[in-house]
Amino acid sequence: MTETRFEPRIVAFLCNWCAYSGADLAGVSRIPSSPCVRAIRVMCTGRIDPGFVLHAFASGADAVLLAGCHPGDCHYSEGNYKCLRRALALRRLLRAFGVEEDRVRLEWISASEAEKFAQVTREMEEAVRRLGPLRLNGGAGPTEGESKESGRAEA
Amino acid sequence: MKANGDGRRIGFYICHCGSNIAATVDVAAVANHVAGLSGVAVSRHYAFMCSQPGQDMIARDIREERLDRVVVAACSPMMHELTFRNACQGAGLNRYLFQMANVREQCAWVHADRPAATEKAKSLARAAVARVAHQRPLEAATIPVNPDTLVIGGGIAGIQAALDLAEAGREVWLVERESTIGGNMARFDKTFPTLDCASCILTPKMVSVGHRKNVHILTQSQVEQVSGFAGSFEARVRKKARYVSDQCTACQECEKVCPVEVPNAFDLLLKKRKAIHKAFPQAVPNTYLIDKQERPPCREACPIGQEAAGYVALIGQGRFAEAAELIRMRNPLPVVCGRVCYHPCEAECNRGFVDEPVAIQHLKRFALDWQEKHSGGIPAPPPPTERRPEKVAIVGSGPAGLACAHDLATRGYRPTVFERDVVLGGMLALGIPRYRLPRERLLQDIDFIRRMGVEFRTGVEVGRDVTIGQLRKEGYKAFFVAAGAHVGVPLDVPGERLAGVMQGVEFLRRHALGIPPAVGRNVAVVGGGNTAVDAARTVLREGAEHVTILYRRTRAEMPAVEHEIADAEAEGVRFAYLRAPLEVLGEDGRVSGLRCVEMELGEPDASGRRRPVPVPGSEHTLSFDTVLVAIGQSPDLSLLGGEGLKLDRRGTLEANGETFATSVPGVFGGGDVVFGPATVIAAMGAGKRAAEAIDKYLRGEPLTDFHTHAVPTQIRRGESFRPHPYAPPYTQTPKRPRQAMPKLPAPDRAQGWEEVELGFTEEQAVAEAQRCLHCGVCVDCYQCVKACQPGAVDHAMKDEVLDLKVGQVLVTTGYDLFDPRRMAQYGYGRLDNVVTSLEFERMLASTGPTGGRLALKNGEEPRAVAIVHCVGSRDENYHRYCSRVCCMYALKFAHLVHDRTRAAVYEFYIDMRAYGKGYEEFYGRVLAEGVNVIRGKVAEVFAAPDAPPGEGHLIVRAEDTLLGKQREIPVDMVILCCALEPAQGIEALRRTLHLSQSPDGFLLERHPKLDPTGTASDGIFVAGCAQGPKDIPDTVAQASAAASRMLGLIARGEIAVDPIKARVEPELCGGCRICNNVCPYNAIRWLEDEKVAEVLDAVCKGCGTCVAACPAGAITGLGFSDEQIYAEIDGLLGTPEAASRVPTTLEARP
Repeated sequence: MTETRFEPRIVAFLCNWCAYSGADLAGVSRIPSSPCVRAIRVMCTGRIDPGFVLHAFASGADAVLLAGCHPGDCHYSEGNYKCLRRALALRRLLRAFGVEEDRVRLEWISASEAEKFAQVTREMEEAVRRLGPLRLNGGAGPTEGESKESGRAEA
Repeated sequence: MKANGDGRRIGFYICHCGSNIAATVDVAAVANHVAGLSGVAVSRHYAFMCSQPGQDMIARDIREERLDRVVVAACSPMMHELTFRNACQGAGLNRYLFQMANVREQCAWVHADRPAATEKAKSLARAAVARVAHQRPLEAATIPVNPDTLVIGGGIAGIQAALDLAEAGREVWLVERESTIGGNMARFDKTFPTLDCASCILTPKMVSVGHRKNVHILTQSQVEQVSGFAGSFEARVRKKARYVSDQCTACQECEKVCPVEVPNAFDLLLKKRKAIHKAFPQAVPNTYLIDKQERPPCREACPIGQEAAGYVALIGQGRFAEAAELIRMRNPLPVVCGRVCYHPCEAECNRGFVDEPVAIQHLKRFALDWQEKHSGGIPAPPPPTERRPEKVAIVGSGPAGLACAHDLATRGYRPTVFERDVVLGGMLALGIPRYRLPRERLLQDIDFIRRMGVEFRTGVEVGRDVTIGQLRKEGYKAFFVAAGAHVGVPLDVPGERLAGVMQGVEFLRRHALGIPPAVGRNVAVVGGGNTAVDAARTVLREGAEHVTILYRRTRAEMPAVEHEIADAEAEGVRFAYLRAPLEVLGEDGRVSGLRCVEMELGEPDASGRRRPVPVPGSEHTLSFDTVLVAIGQSPDLSLLGGEGLKLDRRGTLEANGETFATSVPGVFGGGDVVFGPATVIAAMGAGKRAAEAIDKYLRGEPLTDFHTHAVPTQIRRGESFRPHPYAPPYTQTPKRPRQAMPKLPAPDRAQGWEEVELGFTEEQAVAEAQRCLHCGVCVDCYQCVKACQPGAVDHAMKDEVLDLKVGQVLVTTGYDLFDPRRMAQYGYGRLDNVVTSLEFERMLASTGPTGGRLALKNGEEPRAVAIVHCVGSRDENYHRYCSRVCCMYALKFAHLVHDRTRAAVYEFYIDMRAYGKGYEEFYGRVLAEGVNVIRGKVAEVFAAPDAPPGEGHLIVRAEDTLLGKQREIPVDMVILCCALEPAQGIEALRRTLHLSQSPDGFLLERHPKLDPTGTASDGIFVAGCAQGPKDIPDTVAQASAAASRMLGLIARGEIAVDPIKARVEPELCGGCRICNNVCPYNAIRWLEDEKVAEVLDAVCKGCGTCVAACPAGAITGLGFSDEQIYAEIDGLLGTPEAASRVPTTLEARP
């Protein structure tokens, strides 16, 4: 524990068909993205329970990205619309808890939009660095300086 | 991090992927980190986990270390998840107890900072380890595979795959958007590098696939909807009507008689074809088709649906007899319509967007006059196809009654028409003056109807002389009341009863009956409609010195037909606009004048016209000795009231707007008596509809599904800027003025009763008819029906919708050519003799526009030709990709130009790509033939200001990068080698099939190297240029590869269905039914008895939307359960107390 440089932790929920494939294409195309963004694959953004996002914040995430197929492109026809509705409601809820809007981002990223995926990750990292670590009052989040530094998990 | 993996024995393996991962991620550190996690029994790193030794390592550990879960951190699960699942299963571990962490595509390949990438890899590994602890064994169900296949796109790829599948004995549905299969290859002349004739190698395949019993070709068809799974898809296909059945023998007789010619899309609009046509001589299916776009607006606007564009087209070709026959087929009063119809068709005529509408009505009159003069008078009516015994009575012999009688007679009835007056024709005889419609002309139409078997009884007024009840007793089964609107509306001002005041309609009526009332010398006509103008012109002919029409609005608002007003003016009728009578003044009981007031126009009223309001203080007196009132008419229903017929609020007969049924069964009503005063043609439309309704009524059929035309409220126009897709825009159509109708000189007219309009000459008629733009392409002239011996033509054919059940789908939709208009610097579309590669192919083809001769627009052979590579390809502004085929076909072009002409050829290339078998050799051969190759991208093509003789008229400017200097080369033809683009419509199909596209817009294959024909969706394959630009050999190979992949699955007979599905725990289900509504597949069934929801495994696709939506947490996503995802989040973030957050209810489930 020599350094306590802030390393944002961003959880990305990516749908299997579009956003996850787009992230893979970013890899195949070697387009640099932010290492702070770490993906959890779901079959569809419609699967994303708002509880997952709350849990991620409660567990120490500084931001959450939800990314799926463009409207009209959903592999399951309309799961992305469900996600959109939930995300809008969730944002309002989080605002009430003092979580800045920039910490939850919903993006439509197709399987061919590798550049967009990488760009979004970089922007999110930047936004979170600007905002600083998420502090939830009395929440279950990790305390400052303890688990927000690099190398922490090797303890 | 403890509780999470307690009791588990997890094996963790991180792959170096050679140096792909290991160069950026410290794999040993990750393995060490994971080794310390709870539940991890083994943690290793290895160079190639996917290799045999790597897989063996996992299998050995499963057996020797008794692993119950496995995690591999390597490439994307899209790549090798299946490999490792199979490895686990091979070693006896359930394949779903495996999880993959993506540390290559989503980590090592996108990060440069080694410590950061290593941290991220640890995080992803932790997440996978935490998740896998919660994974449960799943068993994949298998379903039988439907052995039938759907191939979308009938180019060479689709044909090849269909043949391969058919050869193996399988059923194939081959769906093609165009009218023939063959795709773009059918357009080519020769193919590189062997110079085989494209037709010679393609058409045998087309014929072969067309002859296969087990290949069902659906042309002019599009896939609208696809549902289901690999092995069991349902596809909805819309097949556009061809209007020619497969009884067609392709004898070409129809083509000869079709009057409409349009540019052929197959020949890229370089060659003409008829509306009934075949794309090219070798088309498969070898069946003609009719190009019917939107119905011509003239026909749509006509209340009887008269085929106006049809007879106009025939007149344009000098086929006057056929034109008249066509008119008579549908029109009960053709002679009348040719003279007095108010031609709503002309108001909708698209020619009006260019200059003026076509003079459709005058052309109709011309055709009928010509028929009378040149084909032995009025023809005999055709005999009806059947005889109907029921008696029908028609009340009124106006246009509605006559049209109804005509159509009933056509349908086999022998109706009786009862007419109150002694003359037949209703308003046609009593309202329209002879100078517009000579009586003998009207009688021609009435006699024709009489000869059809219609009985007329004049001087019988139904309601007074005989009642409907009495007629029923006489055996009449149905009635059509079309008594018209013959009662003039009064002015409602003082003095209206003075002698010399008369209703205009009554004046005209008595005049027509030969008992004209006495009129004075100075006549006022009040009103602005046709009756007012007719009355004014008639009274003028009666010898009145001054006739003045008083109208309370201005000329612009007058409801009378414009040319009638003009004729009245020419004959000397005066007009006093913005004038309204307040009182009729009298002397000795006779009219002496009108007290009038001046009006001005105020706000628009309900009819949309500006309401006239009196100008204060403008009252004045005008002297007249006669006043004719023509401000409106209403029906006289006093006599019919006793029949129990209901009237509506306006005092007209009440009848259903569609069926024309009145309140009394068996009694129908139409025309002015129902709708109030309208036009002749509107009344005829009502008569025809009533005839159909009566026929249905008498046959005991429901009064629905009418075939008689109804004018749509909004006339549809497919495109707003041109009449049909092959026509130039209105703005670029040359203007040609409308022919003027020859008329009697105005001074001669007022003297007598001769017909004012004299009719077109033949030359005028042809010239006028040729102004028609042939909207709709097919103009419904039915000449093809007559010409077709086998009776294959059916203009009533409807689009079909087919629901197909198939096991697998192959997409082979090919490509479209880049539109070089986007690169204005090359002058395409602006400069003559700048052509696209596909246009040049057609020019080379023996079936093309020039029959294979290379010719400039002026017909001369070119002396120098430039071939420009990479137009739209390898260009940051358009497409970054290489279209792969252009270099080779450009060399082919060079060879063919050299072969067929003595022209010099200049090839402008960036890099010459001759990578295939025999390609480089072909390049060498073409170079040896003396082609000039210039390395450099063309900057510009422009017209030479004044080309010296023997030099080209186009200058190609380019930098020769090998010489390092600018060059300007004069040529007289430029061929643009345009990029191949994803086919138009691929976007809609992609969404229908839920496929992804690559950044270039082509369909995304499952893996660019290992699975170039598969897609991310099981059971859906892609081949040919739909997947990316490629040449014919590659396309055929890929199509065959896809076919063999599909045959593999068919041979296996069954397919495992991914067990990733939703499952409802009935004990937890609260019965809210929210899940029912969120499921896009209706896969959730509501069990009424148990009051719980249930997922239908066979329908569920596993998206998990219901899982997230269930407020009771009663739905589990198998393979993506809440506990797995919560654990994954915890693992990812390294939260110590991960396990405690997992809901215990979920953990407790069996």
